[in-house]
Amino acid sequence: MLMCHVKGCSTDNFPLRIEDAEMEQVEVEFNEDFCRRLINKIDWPAFVQTAFALGLDQLPAALPDDLDEEFLQRIHKLALETKLKAGRMVCNGCKHVYLITDGIPNMLLQETEV
Amino acid sequence: MPKFVICFAQAHLNFRLAELRSLAIIENVTLDFDQKDLLEQSPFLVVGIDTVENAKKLLNRAILIKEIIQLWAADDTLEGILLKAKNLPAEYFAPYRTSSFKFDISVFGSTLAIPDQVEQINRFKFLPLEGKIDLKKPEIVFTVYQDFYANANPKDIPDKPVRLFFGPFLATSNRGLIQTYDLKKRDYLGTTSMDAELSLIMSNIALARPGSFVLDPFVGTGSFLLTSSHFGAFTLGADIDGRQIRGKGNNKNIESNAVQYDLTNRILGTVVCDIAHHPWRETEFWDAIVCDPPYGVRAGAKKIAVNPKSLPKTSVLNPDGTYKLPQTIPYELDDVLTDLLSFAAKYLTPGGRLVYWLPTVTETYDPKDVPRHKRMRMIDNCEQDFGKWARRLIVMEKLQQHEPDLDLDALLVEIEKGIQGVNALDEQDMRVGDDGLVTLIDNPAHAKFRNHYFNIGEGETQ
Ligand SMILES: C[S@@+](CC[C@H](N)C(=O)[O-])C[C@H]1O[C@@H](n2cnc3c(N)ncnc32)[C@H](O)[C@@H]1O
Ligand SMILES: [Zn+2]
Repeated sequence: MLMCHVKGCSTDNFPLRIEDAEMEQVEVEFNEDFCRRLINKIDWPAFVQTAFALGLDQLPAALPDDLDEEFLQRIHKLALETKLKAGRMVCNGCKHVYLITDGIPNMLLQETEV
Repeated sequence: MPKFVICFAQAHLNFRLAELRSLAIIENVTLDFDQKDLLEQSPFLVVGIDTVENAKKLLNRAILIKEIIQLWAADDTLEGILLKAKNLPAEYFAPYRTSSFKFDISVFGSTLAIPDQVEQINRFKFLPLEGKIDLKKPEIVFTVYQDFYANANPKDIPDKPVRLFFGPFLATSNRGLIQTYDLKKRDYLGTTSMDAELSLIMSNIALARPGSFVLDPFVGTGSFLLTSSHFGAFTLGADIDGRQIRGKGNNKNIESNAVQYDLTNRILGTVVCDIAHHPWRETEFWDAIVCDPPYGVRAGAKKIAVNPKSLPKTSVLNPDGTYKLPQTIPYELDDVLTDLLSFAAKYLTPGGRLVYWLPTVTETYDPKDVPRHKRMRMIDNCEQDFGKWARRLIVMEKLQQHEPDLDLDALLVEIEKGIQGVNALDEQDMRVGDDGLVTLIDNPAHAKFRNHYFNIGEGETQ
């Protein structure tokens, strides 16, 4: 959902590459309807790429037509139950680094970047 | 449609309708009433609801309603009520013939001594009820509402009620939640934390419910995350000030509040970012945006920019590798609000709601001040009055894809409905910006709210 927004950075600014990730599994209520709508909102290739890079899951390159509950549970686990506790999100375009600490991404830019 | 009487709690009177309409949407209840029947001086409103079950459902998460009864008789005298009760078809009482029961006389705007209550209840003896009277745990309660209206001066209170309603009691609302979320009991608090009652009402008006996705872009200590997630929504918060989110390092923060209220399974997280330069990929993510924007009285509004008063940095990093805070400049309320509105018009799902507070100086407020957008319909504009200043809860809804852009005519319809206020609009004043923002007035009165606020002498006391 997050992308690089440094002024002038418009190519390769999404998805952000995640480095030194420290992950945590949390429990989030499963809501099938929410999960279905979420899938339509996320950028699927970026999601697949990120899940793979983090070594979490190998998802199909194309979103299946038929989204059964098992598949939705898989997405639920990845998108809602896997929390980045710490790490760095790096923009492949401009190399800006966004830090995550205590599970909170710091997306502030510097005054010279806006 | 069957008729019912809603008894409101008589708190935040101006918000009663907005909440009621929202509850009907949330619970998928067909609700019919005439807005003109809702009076300032009375808590009672007669409504039509499709079924008894739905009438109960309507109160599930109501905050500004106290209770609801089925309406069997309405009259302006007790004698009239008794006569109508006598003539009710037998099948009305059939389900309760053998139930244990009690009568409850509920008086608004006056008092009725116990002996008088007993005397009045006895006059209902003719009813075909054979069950035993049980004052503690009756199977059914028959309620008589007596409305004397609110009178500021005790000598204006009439001797007899102005109107009465009679029928079986159905349900109480959920006002106990106000205690549950009471700020005094909350682990992590800030000076800007929103009062529990208003926060719950806002989550109702935002239609926060299971499966919905809610953002507070000015999350502070996270009041709206708690109440929206309480009602089932998944929530996210953002704030330019990470210290608000993280607290002071004593393990009291938004996360600990989520733990305290057992909502970690719905509060998804928080992000530190500036709404003026935010990182969200452009998609219709949220079903609701609920917030109390910074307006410089309690929490200063600022946005990232080179501040000519500060020295340029030699390095953006601290020795430990974390970033130094960026320089910021003041962020005028008018810009905060138009940025918020543009943001909402882009990021809300169609039909999604934006619910936020607009502070106003009462003397200079003009309904045209409220920033508008051609893709956002105004749903409500409710005032909370503090005398010289006020804040208004602005409720807007993003148009569905197939709906055409709003135009001046659409705005005029809102005026007729009493949402927008009565000041005449003038086509010449209206300007539509590139991204759809509509300006109805050149210099909205809240533009420099902070200065006005201090001019009226309120100082930092609020
Ligand atoms: C009135 S407070 C909201 C309080 C919150 N409702 C609560 O329950 O604590 C406004 C918040 O907006 C934040 N803020 C100010 N400027 C901002 C900006 N440019 N972008 C995002 N947040 C900002 C402030 O740090 C402050 O926490
Ligand atoms: Zn970049």
